Amino acid sequence: MKCVGKNVLRAEGEDKVTGRAKYIDDLSFPGMIYGHTVRSSVARGRILSVARDPAFDWGGFTLVDHRAIPPGGRNIVAMIVEDQPFLAVDEVRHREEPILLIAHADPERLAEAVAHIEVHYAPEPAVLDLEHATTVLKELTISKGDLEQGFAQADRVVEGSYFTGAQEQLYIEPNGVIAVPGVDGKSITVYGSMQCPYYVQRALRLLLGLDETQVRVVQTTTGGGFGGKEEYPSILAGHAALLACAAGRPVKMVYDRLEDLVATTKRHPARIRHRTGVQRDGTLVAMEIEVDLDGGAYVTLSPVVLSRASIHATGPYRAPHVRVRGRVLQTNTPPTGAFRGFGAPQSQFGIELHMDRIAEELGIDPVALRQKNLYASGDVTATGQRLDGSVSAHEVLERALQRHVKKKRPKKKDGLLRGTGVATFFHGSGFTGGGEVKLASRAGIELTPRNVRLLVGSTEIGQGTRTMHAQIVADTLAIPYEWVETADPDTARVPDSGPTVASRTCMVVGRILQRAALDLQQALGPYRTPDEFRRRSRKLLAKRPALQFIAQYDRPGDIRWDDATYQGDAYGAYAWGCNIADVEVDPITYQARCTRLTAVIDIGKAIHPLLACGQIEGGSLQAVGWALYEEVVMRDGRMANGQLTNYIIPTTLDTPEILVELVENPYPHGPFGAKGVGECPVDGPAAAILNAIRQATGVRLNAIPATPEKIMQAMDAR
Amino acid sequence: MMRASPFSYFAPITIGEVAKILAGEGPRALLLAGGTDLIPNMKRRTQTPAVLVSLRRVAELRGLANGRIGSAMTLSSIAESPHLSPHRALIRAAAQVATPHIRNAATLGGNLCLDTRCNYYNQNYEWRQAIDFCMKRASDGGGHPVRNEDGVCWVAPGSPRCWAVSSSDTAPALIALGATVTLVSIAGRRELPLNDLYCDDGIAYLTKPSDELLTEVVLPDATGWRSTYWKLRRREAFDFPVLSVAAAVKLASDGTVLDARLVLGAVASHPLLIAEAQELVGMPLSDDAIERLAAAAARFAKPLDNTDFALGWRKRVARAYVTGALRELRGDDPATLGLLARRATALRPLS
Repeated sequence: MKCVGKNVLRAEGEDKVTGRAKYIDDLSFPGMIYGHTVRSSVARGRILSVARDPAFDWGGFTLVDHRAIPPGGRNIVAMIVEDQPFLAVDEVRHREEPILLIAHADPERLAEAVAHIEVHYAPEPAVLDLEHATTVLKELTISKGDLEQGFAQADRVVEGSYFTGAQEQLYIEPNGVIAVPGVDGKSITVYGSMQCPYYVQRALRLLLGLDETQVRVVQTTTGGGFGGKEEYPSILAGHAALLACAAGRPVKMVYDRLEDLVATTKRHPARIRHRTGVQRDGTLVAMEIEVDLDGGAYVTLSPVVLSRASIHATGPYRAPHVRVRGRVLQTNTPPTGAFRGFGAPQSQFGIELHMDRIAEELGIDPVALRQKNLYASGDVTATGQRLDGSVSAHEVLERALQRHVKKKRPKKKDGLLRGTGVATFFHGSGFTGGGEVKLASRAGIELTPRNVRLLVGSTEIGQGTRTMHAQIVADTLAIPYEWVETADPDTARVPDSGPTVASRTCMVVGRILQRAALDLQQALGPYRTPDEFRRRSRKLLAKRPALQFIAQYDRPGDIRWDDATYQGDAYGAYAWGCNIADVEVDPITYQARCTRLTAVIDIGKAIHPLLACGQIEGGSLQAVGWALYEEVVMRDGRMANGQLTNYIIPTTLDTPEILVELVENPYPHGPFGAKGVGECPVDGPAAAILNAIRQATGVRLNAIPATPEKIMQAMDAR
Repeated sequence: MMRASPFSYFAPITIGEVAKILAGEGPRALLLAGGTDLIPNMKRRTQTPAVLVSLRRVAELRGLANGRIGSAMTLSSIAESPHLSPHRALIRAAAQVATPHIRNAATLGGNLCLDTRCNYYNQNYEWRQAIDFCMKRASDGGGHPVRNEDGVCWVAPGSPRCWAVSSSDTAPALIALGATVTLVSIAGRRELPLNDLYCDDGIAYLTKPSDELLTEVVLPDATGWRSTYWKLRRREAFDFPVLSVAAAVKLASDGTVLDARLVLGAVASHPLLIAEAQELVGMPLSDDAIERLAAAAARFAKPLDNTDFALGWRKRVARAYVTGALRELRGDDPATLGLLARRATALRPLS
C-alpha cells in the first residue's frame, strides 16, 4: 500500500488532459471588463504629461493612474526594498514600465484607445547593460581563510571571466489575473495564474491599505511558472485590482506573449570572474570570485538571487581560502527576477568552465581535477558550513561516468566535430540562511468523514506538488493515496506555507505536512488498518464537520546562520549533481547540438520517481536552451525579439537523449529523506555543453548562448 | 494577440465558383486553404481581409497524378507521396516546413503564395503601431498588404522599396524542378513558369492579380534529374528558413551536366534563380565547377537584417550550402556533408 517511491497517478492529471481544468483565461464573471497597461516607451526619463485625445470617445473606458491608489494604500510593490511603484508617478526607469491602466468591456477597443493616449517624456541618459552599469543595488562578501596566504601557497594562478545572458521562463500560459471587487467596496478577490498566493495578498494589502480579511487571492490552474510567476503576479494583480476598484466591476488582465516577453522578469544576466590559486597536483588553495548580476531597474528579488548565486559560486569544491564578492548592478531595463535556479546556474556556469580551464593549464584531466577537489563529508564550505551526511558529490560523478561511458558509440567519419564535457554542481534546498525561520511556514490537514484534505499554500504549477504532498501524507498516515485530496490554494482557506520556490515544496513544506499528519495520528490513537483509521476518524469527528491539524516549520536543531557575516549553515541540505554532455558541431554551419546528456542527481528520496525524472529532464532541457538557443536581444532597453519565432527554445528534435539517474542519499529532516529537486537540474548542462564544444572545436567560448555566430567568430579567431 | 477583425465567409464547391467570387469581391477577398499562416496574420492584423473564400470543399484542388499536384494538397501528403519521390527537392522542402501539425493543415498553394516576412512586419498590431508602421501595411478591409506611403522600410530606411523576405520552402524547390503553375480566373486559365509568379518586391511579391486562383502545380518529367533542398534554420523544426538552397541537375551517363538549376530561398523578396548554374552545362560536376558556382551564388545572396542570425554568418553559410548541395547531387556520401545534410536525409527514407 505504500505509495512513496511509486509512480501514482497525478492528482490533477485527469482534469488537465480532459480539458476540465480551468485556466485564468477560461474564467469569466458577470459584468467583467478587460484591462490593459500603457507602458513607457523610453528607457529612462521624466514624465512631462499624459494626454488623452479629446476628440476620441472615452465613454465606457476606465482609466487609472497612480492617483487612483486609495488613501491608506501605497504605490509600492511589496518586496525586499520599497523602490518599485505599481504605476510610475513622474519618472520611468525602464522601457515597458507601467504608467497608466485602461479597461473596457470590449477588449478590441483597448488598442484603439491606447493609440489616443500620448505620454511625453524628457528622456534621460540610460544604462542599458551590465558592461556600463555602475550603480550597485546590493553587495555582499563571503570570506573564508586568508586569500593572500592562499595565493602564496599556489603554484599557479588561473584567471577567467564568464558571461551568461538573460533567459525567459517561457511558461506555456502567460501571466493573467481577474480581480473581483467586493460588494462592500472594501474588499477584493483576485484569481490568477501564480506561484505564491500569499505574496500577491501581501502586495495587494499594501497597495490598497486593506487587511488580510479583505484581500483574498486564489490560484487558478497554472500553466507553468519557473520563477516567472513568483513575484511578477503581484504587480499584475495590483493593476487589475486598481481597475476593478475604479470600475466597480471584475477586471480580467491576461498578457499576450509579446507583452509577457517584453515586460515581465527574466533570468539575471551575469558576469562571473575567477582568480584561482592552484597547486601543481590540482589542489585548489585560493578562490577569488566576483559575481555581478544585472538586476534591471528595480531591486525586486535581486538581493536573494545574489545571495544564492554567491553561495554557489565556488561550485561543490573545497578550498581553504575563499572570497566571493557579489554585486547586483542597476540598468535601465525591465527588472530581472526569479528563474529556476535563482542565480546558482549563472555562478556555477562560471566555476564549471573555469575548472576546465584550470585542468587545461595544469595538463590534468578535468574529471581528475574535480575528483581531487569535490566536497566530501566533513568538508567546510565558504560560509563555514560543515557538510555531514547526504554529501554525494563524488558519487554522482562516478555514477555519471559509468552511465555515460556505457552507452558510448563508435566514432563516425562524417566531418562533424564531436566533444564531451562534464560539470559537477550542487544546489541548496529551501530558503537561504535564516529564510525558513523567518517564513515560519504553516501547512496542515483537515480531517473530514470522507477523507483527508491537505490545507497548503504551495501551488501546483506543473511540477507535481499535489501528487507528491498527498503521497507523503498518505504514507505517513498509512492510508491509501486516493484518500488524500488537496484544497485549492486560496488565502481564505489554506495557511501560508511560504512561496512555491527555492526547491522547498517537497523538503520543507512536505515535512511540515508530515508533522501535521503525525499530530493527527496522535489525536486518533493507534490504528492498524485504513478502515480502522476511518472508523477512528469518524469517532473523533463525532458531529463536527471537520477537524484541522496545522503544523508550523520547525528548524532542525543544528542549523545556524548569521546574516551579518554571511557565515553559517546556508542550507539545511544540498542536492548534488553531475552532467556529462556529448556535443556535435557542424563545421559548415557552426551550429552546435547537444546529442546526449547524462544527469545524475542526488535528491535524497524520490517521492514520485517519474515526476522527479520529469523535473530533471525538463530542467536540463531548459538549460540546453539557455546554453545554445535562447537569446534575449535587447535594443534601446527593450527586448527586440519578443515573439517565439525569434526567441526560440529547443523543440523535441533539438532535445538530446537525456539519461537521468536518481541517487537517493537521504536527508534526515526531509520527508522520507527527500531534498529539493526543482532547480538543481538547471545548474550543470550549460557548462557541460560549453566544455564539450571546447573539446570538439578547440575554441573556448566564455559566454552563452553559444550561437553559431559566436562559434564561427571564435573558430575564425584561432 | 487580438481577435481577427470581422469578415464574411464563402465556401464554394467548384473552381468556377471560386473564380466568380474572387472576380466579384476583388482585393477584399483572400483564399483560405490551410490557414496556418493567414489566421495568425489576421489576429496580428497584418492581413485584414473583409472576405474569406474557403477552399476546403473544392475537391478539384486536391488531386495528385502524372506530375500534377492540386494546390490544396497538404504539405504532409506531398512529403509522404510515393509518386513524388523522383522530385526529391520538393519532398525535402515540404517535409521541412514548420511542424507535423502545421504540415497536416498547410497546403502547397498556400506555401507558394506565402506572404513575405520581415522582423518589422510580422509583429502584432501594437508593436507595429509603436514604430509608426513600416512601409508594408495591411490595407483596411483588404487581404493583400499595401504600401504605406508614410512608412519607411526599417531594414533599409533610405530605401524606396520593401525588403521583406520570401520564406517559402516549396517555391525554390519547385523552381529548381522546372515547375509551372496553372492560374484560373473568370477570364480563363493560363500556365506560367513558377519563377514568373514572383516579383522582387516585399509588398507586391506575386505577379498574379488578386482575382486569380492557383489551381495546380505541374512538374516536368524528372527522368535523368537529381535534385535536393537544403534548409538552414536555427532549430531542427518549426522555423522559417533563413537560407535555403534548391538544386537540380540532369546528368548524362558519363557524369556530364546536361542541364542545371540553382535557386536560393530566404535571401531576397523572391526565390532567387541563379543563372550562372547554366555554366555547369557540358562539364562534369568537378570540385572547381562547384566552387565557382558557389562563389557566384554567394555574391547574389544579399541577406538583409530582417530575419534571424547575423548577416556575415548567413552569407558564409550560403556558399558552403551551395557547395554541399551540389556535392550531394554529384553523389558524394551524404554523411560527409555536415550536420544539416544528415538531418535532411534523415527526414524520411528516400527511394
